[in-house]
Amino acid sequence: MIKFQKVTKHYNQGSKALDNLDLEIHHGEFISLVGRSGAGKSTLLKLIIGEEEIDSGRILIDDIDISQVRKSDLPYLRRKIGVVFQDMKLLPKRTAFENIAFAMEVCGHRAQGIKREVPKILELVGLAHKRNSFPGEMSGGEKQRVAIARALSHRPVLLLADEPTGNLDEVNANEVLELLIKINNLGTTVLLATHAADLVNKLKKRVITIENGKITLEQEKGHYKL
Amino acid sequence: MFDSISFFRIVKTGFVNFWRNLSLSAAATMVMTITLVIFAVLFLLFGLTSNALDAVQSRIDISVYFKSGLGEDKIKSIQLDLEANEKVDTVVYTSATKALEEFRKKHENDFLIQQSLNELTENPLPATLNVRAKNLEDYPQIDSFLSDRKYADFIESKSYGDDQTKLAIERLNKILGFIITFGVGLISIFALIAVLVIFNTITLTIFNRREEVEIMRLVGATNWYIRGPFLVESILYGFFATVITALLMLPIFSNFLPRIALFVNPQVSVFNQNVFNYWYLIFMLFLVGAILSVVSTFLAIRKYLKI
Repeated sequence: MIKFQKVTKHYNQGSKALDNLDLEIHHGEFISLVGRSGAGKSTLLKLIIGEEEIDSGRILIDDIDISQVRKSDLPYLRRKIGVVFQDMKLLPKRTAFENIAFAMEVCGHRAQGIKREVPKILELVGLAHKRNSFPGEMSGGEKQRVAIARALSHRPVLLLADEPTGNLDEVNANEVLELLIKINNLGTTVLLATHAADLVNKLKKRVITIENGKITLEQEKGHYKL
Repeated sequence: MFDSISFFRIVKTGFVNFWRNLSLSAAATMVMTITLVIFAVLFLLFGLTSNALDAVQSRIDISVYFKSGLGEDKIKSIQLDLEANEKVDTVVYTSATKALEEFRKKHENDFLIQQSLNELTENPLPATLNVRAKNLEDYPQIDSFLSDRKYADFIESKSYGDDQTKLAIERLNKILGFIITFGVGLISIFALIAVLVIFNTITLTIFNRREEVEIMRLVGATNWYIRGPFLVESILYGFFATVITALLMLPIFSNFLPRIALFVNPQVSVFNQNVFNYWYLIFMLFLVGAILSVVSTFLAIRKYLKI
């Protein structure tokens, strides 16, 4: 599904964020990406959605080289990929329903379709009862689940989660993890960048460790290991 | 680029942005209104002056008086020569008989003139050609063309314009030149101010909506979907400024302008000319407003909207 072939990425200061990295992600996988802060995890996710450009190598998504994708076509690529961040990025003046509807509106979904789909997505993430709540009225875990619901609104084939439990307590973090597993079981590939050792160990799925922009360890059904 | 639903949402978001930043929107609209009012006034002044100039110029022609007894064939051949000259616009021939008829008709109530004419045995009026040039500055050349030796035996005399008319033309030309120079300068200054104010307003809107923009980008909104509302918002400044200017111009068009126009040039109906057509002017104002708005928005988007 996604292939990184000898990908190198520098930032302005000359530091190497990714160094000659090779990686292959298959359909339906759940991969945990671990490593110290600044190891290159977030850069790897940003490259997949075309937020950053690579310096050398190739990234193929379903055999499409994303460095060849025109800037004007990037939005269509992003509709196939859901993204979730540590800071959730919810609009504070919109309800849970409206936050999800907003994502569907900007991509041209019809109003009727939005009215039909959003409750289903809220149901999936277990927040049907919070549809009219504003982010300020929800717990961290609930907000993150709204963010995940928004990322799912386009039925993406891949879900990228960058430290989604970073700001959450253990109970909320577990709830978010369970939701990610549920989404993965429904067929969506999940790539989770995290520092949460407990969660990674609980998953018992593929773990990739990155250090200084290079993959230092790959384990099938692995553990958190730096 | 996008379907009708997206287009509707872009326009709606543009209106919402305009409304949410009402004080900023009002400031941008006011500055744009001042620019458009100046533009409209200068446009009308330019139109009135050119109209006056046209009126004076239309009174100028070269009258060529032929020696009496000259055959009509010869005059017609000179007329053909003149018509072949590229600087000549029209040549009108008036025979001596016709000139006399017209003279009689013009003074039909003047007994003394009628009596004097009746006492004459010969027609005292010469045949004439009235030559009108395409441009005012062509008259001296046409005059020298007619001064050629080959015509000397046939032409009794010729005249064009009096000194006062020439002076009026000179003055009007100077006024026109001043309006153009002063107008372009003034318009440039205010256009620049309008562009800067709109640039800053749109920049603030971009800043206020940075969260929404970031989310839109992440969930796959097209670039035009993100930029569109800012363009709509700025076009609204131009639109409302045009509406205000149009209302301010209404009394000028309905009362003031017809009187002035009649005074300047009673023969020409000014409303046949584009510059004095109300809707034409409004269209021009909207065009100017929209162009200024779009240019400043593009500058702001280019600088601050990262897509």
